[in-house]
Amino acid sequence: MKINRANLAVFSLSIILGIILAVQIKQKVPQMIPVTLKSIENTKNEINTLNKEIEELKVMIQDKEEKIRIYESIVDGDENIVDLLKDELNKNKAVAGFETVKGPGIIVRMEDNMDENAFGQSLDLDLIHDADVLRIINDLRVAGAEAISINEQRVLSISEIKCGGPVIRINGKSVGVPIYIKAIGDPQLLSAAINAPNTYGYALKTIDQIVIETSVEDEIIIPAYSGMFEFKYAKPVKEGD
Amino acid sequence: MINLFFAAIGILIGIIIGLILPYTYSVSYSLYMSVAILACLDTVFGGVRANLEGKFDLKIFLSGFFGNAILAAILAYIGDKLGVPLYYAAIFTFGGRLFENFASIRRILLSRVKKKKE
Repeated sequence: MKINRANLAVFSLSIILGIILAVQIKQKVPQMIPVTLKSIENTKNEINTLNKEIEELKVMIQDKEEKIRIYESIVDGDENIVDLLKDELNKNKAVAGFETVKGPGIIVRMEDNMDENAFGQSLDLDLIHDADVLRIINDLRVAGAEAISINEQRVLSISEIKCGGPVIRINGKSVGVPIYIKAIGDPQLLSAAINAPNTYGYALKTIDQIVIETSVEDEIIIPAYSGMFEFKYAKPVKEGD
Repeated sequence: MINLFFAAIGILIGIIIGLILPYTYSVSYSLYMSVAILACLDTVFGGVRANLEGKFDLKIFLSGFFGNAILAAILAYIGDKLGVPLYYAAIFTFGGRLFENFASIRRILLSRVKKKKE
Protein backbone atom coordinates (compact mmCIF):
# COMPACT_ATOMS: atom_id res chain seq x y z
CA MET A 1 0.00 0.00 0.00
CA LYS A 2 1.63 3.18 -1.13
CA ILE A 3 0.80 6.32 0.79
CA ASN A 4 1.54 9.27 -1.47
CA ARG A 5 0.36 12.84 -1.17
CA ALA A 6 -2.60 12.24 -3.40
CA ASN A 7 -3.93 9.42 -1.28
CA LEU A 8 -3.31 11.38 1.86
CA ALA A 9 -5.24 14.37 0.49
CA VAL A 10 -8.17 12.21 -0.59
CA PHE A 11 -8.11 10.50 2.79
CA SER A 12 -8.06 13.69 4.84
CA LEU A 13 -10.71 15.44 2.82
CA SER A 14 -12.83 12.31 2.97
CA ILE A 15 -12.66 12.55 6.74
CA ILE A 16 -13.86 16.16 6.56
CA LEU A 17 -16.65 15.10 4.22
CA GLY A 18 -17.59 12.31 6.61
CA ILE A 19 -17.75 14.70 9.53
CA ILE A 20 -20.03 17.10 7.68
CA LEU A 21 -22.16 14.16 6.56
CA ALA A 22 -22.51 12.82 10.09
CA VAL A 23 -23.40 16.23 11.49
CA GLN A 24 -26.01 16.64 8.76
CA ILE A 25 -27.44 13.21 9.56
CA LYS A 26 -27.58 14.13 13.22
CA GLN A 27 -29.68 17.21 12.40
CA LYS A 28 -32.76 15.06 11.75
CA VAL A 29 -33.76 17.43 8.96
CA PRO A 30 -37.52 17.77 8.79
CA GLN A 31 -39.08 16.82 5.49
CA MET A 32 -39.25 19.85 3.25
CA ILE A 33 -42.77 20.04 1.90
CA PRO A 34 -43.27 22.39 -1.02
CA VAL A 35 -45.45 25.32 -0.02
CA THR A 36 -48.17 26.04 -2.52
CA LEU A 37 -49.89 29.37 -2.94
CA LYS A 38 -53.10 27.74 -1.81
CA SER A 39 -51.66 26.58 1.48
CA ILE A 40 -50.24 30.05 2.07
CA GLU A 41 -53.70 31.46 1.42
CA ASN A 42 -55.23 28.95 3.83
CA THR A 43 -52.75 29.78 6.54
CA LYS A 44 -53.41 33.47 5.99
CA ASN A 45 -57.12 32.93 6.42
CA GLU A 46 -56.51 30.91 9.54
CA ILE A 47 -54.38 33.68 11.01
CA ASN A 48 -57.03 36.24 10.13
CA THR A 49 -59.75 34.23 11.85
CA LEU A 50 -57.60 33.79 14.91
CA ASN A 51 -56.85 37.50 15.01
CA LYS A 52 -60.54 38.25 14.77
CA GLU A 53 -61.22 35.85 17.60
CA ILE A 54 -58.57 37.54 19.70
CA GLU A 55 -60.19 40.91 19.00
CA GLU A 56 -63.55 39.57 20.07
CA LEU A 57 -62.08 38.12 23.23
CA LYS A 58 -60.47 41.47 24.00
CA VAL A 59 -63.84 43.19 23.63
CA MET A 60 -65.31 40.57 25.93
CA ILE A 61 -62.63 41.21 28.53
CA GLN A 62 -63.41 44.90 28.39
CA ASP A 63 -67.07 44.15 28.80
CA LYS A 64 -66.43 41.99 31.84
CA GLU A 65 -64.15 44.58 33.36
CA GLU A 66 -66.87 47.15 32.93
CA LYS A 67 -69.28 44.82 34.68
CA ILE A 68 -66.87 44.29 37.53
CA ARG A 69 -66.58 48.03 37.88
CA ILE A 70 -70.35 48.37 38.06
CA TYR A 71 -70.58 45.63 40.69
CA GLU A 72 -67.90 47.32 42.71
CA SER A 73 -69.77 50.59 42.61
CA ILE A 74 -72.85 48.71 43.81
CA VAL A 75 -70.86 47.39 46.73
CA ASP A 76 -69.80 50.93 47.45
CA GLY A 77 -73.46 51.93 47.41
CA ASP A 78 -73.25 54.28 44.43
CA GLU A 79 -75.75 52.44 42.24
CA ASN A 80 -78.90 50.55 42.86
CA ILE A 81 -78.88 46.86 42.06
CA VAL A 82 -82.59 46.86 41.15
CA ASP A 83 -82.01 49.34 38.34
CA LEU A 84 -79.17 47.25 37.07
CA LEU A 85 -81.19 44.06 37.10
CA LYS A 86 -84.09 45.76 35.33
CA ASP A 87 -81.71 46.97 32.69
CA GLU A 88 -80.37 43.50 32.21
CA LEU A 89 -83.85 42.01 32.07
CA ASN A 90 -84.84 44.39 29.29
CA LYS A 91 -81.71 43.60 27.39
CA ASN A 92 -82.29 39.87 27.73
CA LYS A 93 -85.91 40.26 26.65
CA ALA A 94 -84.83 42.10 23.53
CA VAL A 95 -82.24 39.49 22.72
CA ALA A 96 -84.67 36.63 23.35
CA GLY A 97 -87.33 38.17 21.15
CA PHE A 98 -89.96 38.87 23.80
CA GLU A 99 -89.87 42.56 23.06
CA THR A 100 -90.96 44.54 20.04
CA VAL A 101 -87.90 45.94 18.33
CA LYS A 102 -87.35 48.52 15.61
CA GLY A 103 -84.46 49.52 13.42
CA PRO A 104 -83.24 49.74 9.85
CA GLY A 105 -83.62 46.67 7.68
CA ILE A 106 -85.39 45.22 4.68
CA ILE A 107 -88.79 43.84 3.86
CA VAL A 108 -88.89 40.88 1.47
CA ARG A 109 -92.15 40.23 -0.33
CA MET A 110 -92.56 36.73 -1.75
CA GLU A 111 -95.39 35.64 -3.98
CA ASP A 112 -96.16 32.56 -6.05
CA ASN A 113 -95.50 32.60 -9.74
CA MET A 114 -98.87 33.51 -11.22
CA ASP A 115 -97.64 33.60 -14.80
CA GLU A 116 -99.46 31.48 -17.36
CA ASN A 117 -96.19 30.16 -18.71
CA ALA A 118 -95.19 28.70 -15.44
CA PHE A 119 -91.78 27.20 -15.08
CA GLY A 120 -91.46 23.65 -16.31
CA GLN A 121 -94.23 21.14 -16.11
CA SER A 122 -94.53 20.90 -12.40
CA LEU A 123 -96.85 23.28 -10.64
CA ASP A 124 -94.87 22.59 -7.51
CA LEU A 125 -91.99 24.78 -8.59
CA ASP A 126 -94.17 27.86 -8.96
CA LEU A 127 -95.22 27.88 -5.33
CA ILE A 128 -93.42 29.13 -2.29
CA HIS A 129 -92.60 26.32 0.04
CA ASP A 130 -91.60 26.20 3.64
CA ALA A 131 -88.09 25.20 2.57
CA ASP A 132 -87.77 28.32 0.40
CA VAL A 133 -88.73 30.54 3.31
CA LEU A 134 -86.35 28.65 5.57
CA ARG A 135 -83.44 29.15 3.24
CA ILE A 136 -84.22 32.81 2.71
CA ILE A 137 -84.31 33.27 6.47
CA ASN A 138 -81.05 31.43 6.86
CA ASP A 139 -79.46 33.69 4.24
CA LEU A 140 -80.72 36.72 6.16
CA ARG A 141 -79.25 35.34 9.37
CA VAL A 142 -75.93 34.77 7.64
CA ALA A 143 -76.03 38.41 6.56
CA GLY A 144 -76.38 39.41 10.20
CA ALA A 145 -80.12 39.88 10.68
CA GLU A 146 -80.83 40.62 14.33
CA ALA A 147 -84.58 40.17 14.32
CA ILE A 148 -86.78 38.46 11.74
CA SER A 149 -90.51 38.19 11.37
CA ILE A 150 -92.72 36.51 8.80
CA ASN A 151 -96.11 38.13 8.36
CA GLU A 152 -95.83 39.63 11.83
CA GLN A 153 -94.82 36.32 13.37
CA ARG A 154 -91.52 36.72 15.16
CA VAL A 155 -89.03 34.04 14.15
CA LEU A 156 -87.16 32.74 17.18
CA SER A 157 -84.82 29.85 17.71
CA ILE A 158 -87.87 27.80 18.75
CA SER A 159 -90.05 28.88 15.82
CA GLU A 160 -91.05 26.15 13.42
CA ILE A 161 -91.52 26.81 9.73
CA LYS A 162 -93.60 24.02 8.39
CA CYS A 163 -95.62 23.14 5.36
CA GLY A 164 -99.35 23.35 5.99
CA GLY A 165 -100.74 22.50 2.60
CA PRO A 166 -101.39 25.75 0.74
CA VAL A 167 -100.09 27.76 3.68
CA ILE A 168 -97.01 27.79 5.86
CA ARG A 169 -97.21 27.37 9.62
CA ILE A 170 -95.03 29.53 11.79
CA ASN A 171 -95.25 29.64 15.58
CA GLY A 172 -98.35 27.48 15.27
CA LYS A 173 -100.13 30.07 13.15
CA SER A 174 -100.97 29.80 9.47
CA VAL A 175 -99.39 32.23 7.06
CA GLY A 176 -100.32 32.54 3.40
CA VAL A 177 -98.99 34.36 0.40
CA PRO A 178 -97.95 37.06 -0.04
CA ILE A 179 -95.26 36.46 2.52
CA TYR A 180 -93.59 39.48 4.05
CA ILE A 181 -90.29 38.75 5.70
CA LYS A 182 -88.99 41.61 7.78
CA ALA A 183 -85.44 41.64 8.99
CA ILE A 184 -83.54 44.18 11.02
CA GLY A 185 -79.84 44.50 10.32
CA ASP A 186 -77.48 46.17 7.89
CA PRO A 187 -79.92 46.89 5.01
CA GLN A 188 -77.27 46.63 2.31
CA LEU A 189 -75.96 43.29 3.54
CA LEU A 190 -79.45 41.88 3.96
CA SER A 191 -80.53 43.03 0.54
CA ALA A 192 -77.40 41.54 -0.98
CA ALA A 193 -78.14 38.22 0.74
CA ILE A 194 -81.39 38.02 -1.24
CA ASN A 195 -80.55 39.75 -4.50
CA ALA A 196 -76.91 39.01 -5.21
CA PRO A 197 -76.23 36.50 -7.99
CA ASN A 198 -75.87 32.89 -6.85
CA THR A 199 -77.91 33.36 -3.72
CA TYR A 200 -80.94 31.23 -3.13
CA GLY A 201 -83.25 34.21 -3.47
CA TYR A 202 -81.73 35.04 -6.84
CA ALA A 203 -82.23 31.47 -8.02
CA LEU A 204 -85.85 31.48 -6.92
CA LYS A 205 -86.43 34.74 -8.74
CA THR A 206 -84.66 33.97 -11.99
CA ILE A 207 -85.16 30.23 -12.37
CA ASP A 208 -88.45 29.50 -10.66
CA GLN A 209 -89.83 32.94 -11.56
CA ILE A 210 -91.16 33.38 -8.06
CA VAL A 211 -91.87 36.99 -7.15
CA ILE A 212 -89.32 38.25 -4.67
CA GLU A 213 -89.15 41.96 -4.00
CA THR A 214 -86.99 43.61 -1.42
CA SER A 215 -87.41 47.13 -0.11
CA VAL A 216 -84.95 48.83 2.17
CA GLU A 217 -86.56 50.66 5.07
CA ASP A 218 -85.11 53.06 7.58
CA GLU A 219 -87.36 51.87 10.32
CA ILE A 220 -88.94 48.49 10.62
CA ILE A 221 -90.95 47.41 13.59
CA ILE A 222 -90.76 43.73 14.39
CA PRO A 223 -93.28 42.47 16.91
CA ALA A 224 -92.45 40.47 19.98
CA TYR A 225 -93.03 36.74 20.15
CA SER A 226 -96.66 36.45 21.05
CA GLY A 227 -96.87 32.94 22.44
CA MET A 228 -95.96 31.61 25.83
CA PHE A 229 -92.87 29.58 26.09
CA GLU A 230 -91.18 27.66 28.80
CA PHE A 231 -88.54 24.98 28.77
CA LYS A 232 -89.98 21.68 29.78
CA TYR A 233 -86.96 19.44 29.30
CA ALA A 234 -83.95 21.66 28.94
CA LYS A 235 -82.57 22.76 32.27
CA PRO A 236 -79.67 25.15 32.63
CA VAL A 237 -76.45 23.61 33.81
CA LYS A 238 -75.13 25.57 36.74
CA GLU A 239 -71.46 26.06 37.17
CA GLY A 240 -69.97 23.48 39.45
CA ASP A 241 -72.58 20.86 38.62
CA MET B 1 -8.51 -0.11 -5.59
CA ILE B 2 -6.40 1.51 -2.92
CA ASN B 3 -7.58 5.00 -3.83
CA LEU B 4 -11.23 4.09 -3.44
CA PHE B 5 -10.35 2.31 -0.24
CA PHE B 6 -8.76 5.48 1.16
CA ALA B 7 -11.82 7.53 0.34
CA ALA B 8 -14.23 5.00 1.84
CA ILE B 9 -12.21 4.56 5.02
CA GLY B 10 -11.86 8.34 5.31
CA ILE B 11 -15.60 8.91 5.01
CA LEU B 12 -16.28 6.16 7.55
CA ILE B 13 -13.82 7.61 10.06
CA GLY B 14 -15.26 11.05 9.43
CA ILE B 15 -18.80 9.84 10.10
CA ILE B 16 -17.71 8.23 13.35
CA ILE B 17 -15.90 11.40 14.43
CA GLY B 18 -18.88 13.51 13.41
CA LEU B 19 -21.27 11.36 15.39
CA ILE B 20 -19.05 11.56 18.45
CA LEU B 21 -18.50 15.32 18.18
CA PRO B 22 -21.21 17.28 19.96
CA TYR B 23 -21.27 20.12 17.43
CA THR B 24 -24.36 20.89 15.37
CA TYR B 25 -25.47 23.88 13.37
CA SER B 26 -28.83 25.54 12.91
CA VAL B 27 -31.35 23.44 11.02
CA SER B 28 -32.05 26.40 8.73
CA TYR B 29 -28.63 25.87 7.14
CA SER B 30 -29.22 22.20 6.44
CA LEU B 31 -30.30 22.78 2.85
CA TYR B 32 -27.11 24.66 2.05
CA MET B 33 -25.02 22.07 3.84
CA SER B 34 -26.62 19.18 2.00
CA VAL B 35 -25.82 20.82 -1.34
CA ALA B 36 -22.28 21.46 -0.12
CA ILE B 37 -21.99 17.81 0.88
CA LEU B 38 -22.96 16.80 -2.62
CA ALA B 39 -20.24 19.06 -4.04
CA CYS B 40 -17.66 17.59 -1.63
CA LEU B 41 -18.72 14.07 -2.51
CA ASP B 42 -18.29 14.87 -6.18
CA THR B 43 -14.83 16.31 -5.59
CA VAL B 44 -13.69 13.26 -3.61
CA PHE B 45 -14.86 10.96 -6.37
CA GLY B 46 -13.18 13.22 -8.89
CA GLY B 47 -9.98 13.03 -6.85
CA VAL B 48 -10.10 9.25 -6.76
CA ARG B 49 -10.65 9.16 -10.50
CA ALA B 50 -7.82 11.59 -11.25
CA ASN B 51 -5.59 9.56 -9.00
CA LEU B 52 -6.43 6.39 -10.88
CA GLU B 53 -5.80 8.12 -14.18
CA GLY B 54 -2.53 9.50 -12.89
CA LYS B 55 -3.59 13.09 -13.42
CA PHE B 56 -4.00 13.99 -9.76
CA ASP B 57 -3.19 17.61 -8.87
CA LEU B 58 -3.32 18.48 -5.19
CA LYS B 59 -4.11 22.16 -5.84
CA ILE B 60 -7.00 21.38 -8.15
CA PHE B 61 -8.28 18.83 -5.69
CA LEU B 62 -8.16 21.12 -2.66
CA SER B 63 -9.54 24.16 -4.45
CA GLY B 64 -12.28 21.99 -5.98
CA PHE B 65 -13.26 20.54 -2.65
CA PHE B 66 -13.69 23.83 -0.85
CA GLY B 67 -14.57 25.97 -3.86
CA ASN B 68 -17.34 23.70 -5.11
CA ALA B 69 -18.81 23.29 -1.63
CA ILE B 70 -18.84 27.03 -0.96
CA LEU B 71 -20.18 27.85 -4.40
CA ALA B 72 -22.95 25.29 -4.08
CA ALA B 73 -23.94 26.58 -0.65
CA ILE B 74 -23.91 30.19 -1.84
CA LEU B 75 -25.97 29.25 -4.90
CA ALA B 76 -28.55 27.56 -2.69
CA TYR B 77 -28.59 30.58 -0.38
CA ILE B 78 -29.05 33.08 -3.21
CA GLY B 79 -31.76 30.88 -4.71
CA ASP B 80 -33.55 30.90 -1.37
CA LYS B 81 -33.42 34.67 -1.22
CA LEU B 82 -34.58 35.08 -4.80
CA GLY B 83 -37.31 32.49 -4.51
CA VAL B 84 -35.80 30.43 -7.32
CA PRO B 85 -34.59 26.94 -6.41
CA LEU B 86 -31.07 27.54 -7.75
CA TYR B 87 -29.71 24.62 -5.73
CA TYR B 88 -31.19 22.39 -8.42
CA ALA B 89 -28.32 23.60 -10.60
CA ALA B 90 -25.84 22.29 -8.05
CA ILE B 91 -27.75 19.06 -7.55
CA PHE B 92 -27.93 18.30 -11.27
CA THR B 93 -24.35 19.28 -12.00
CA PHE B 94 -22.70 17.53 -9.10
CA GLY B 95 -25.12 14.61 -9.15
CA GLY B 96 -24.45 14.05 -12.82
CA ARG B 97 -20.71 14.38 -12.38
CA LEU B 98 -20.79 12.04 -9.42
CA PHE B 99 -22.16 9.27 -11.61
CA GLU B 100 -19.76 10.14 -14.42
CA ASN B 101 -16.80 9.94 -12.06
CA PHE B 102 -18.02 6.71 -10.61
CA ALA B 103 -18.48 5.25 -14.09
CA SER B 104 -14.89 6.20 -14.97
CA ILE B 105 -13.57 4.69 -11.74
CA ARG B 106 -15.49 1.51 -12.39
CA ARG B 107 -14.15 1.18 -15.95
CA ILE B 108 -10.56 1.79 -14.89
CA LEU B 109 -10.77 -0.73 -12.07
CA LEU B 110 -12.50 -3.35 -14.24
CA SER B 111 -9.96 -2.97 -17.02
CA ARG B 112 -7.17 -3.39 -14.46
CA VAL B 113 -8.73 -6.60 -13.13
CA LYS B 114 -9.00 -7.82 -16.71
CA LYS B 115 -5.35 -7.04 -17.37
CA LYS B 116 -4.27 -8.90 -14.25
CA LYS B 117 -6.14 -12.00 -15.32
CA GLU B 118 -4.51 -11.91 -18.71
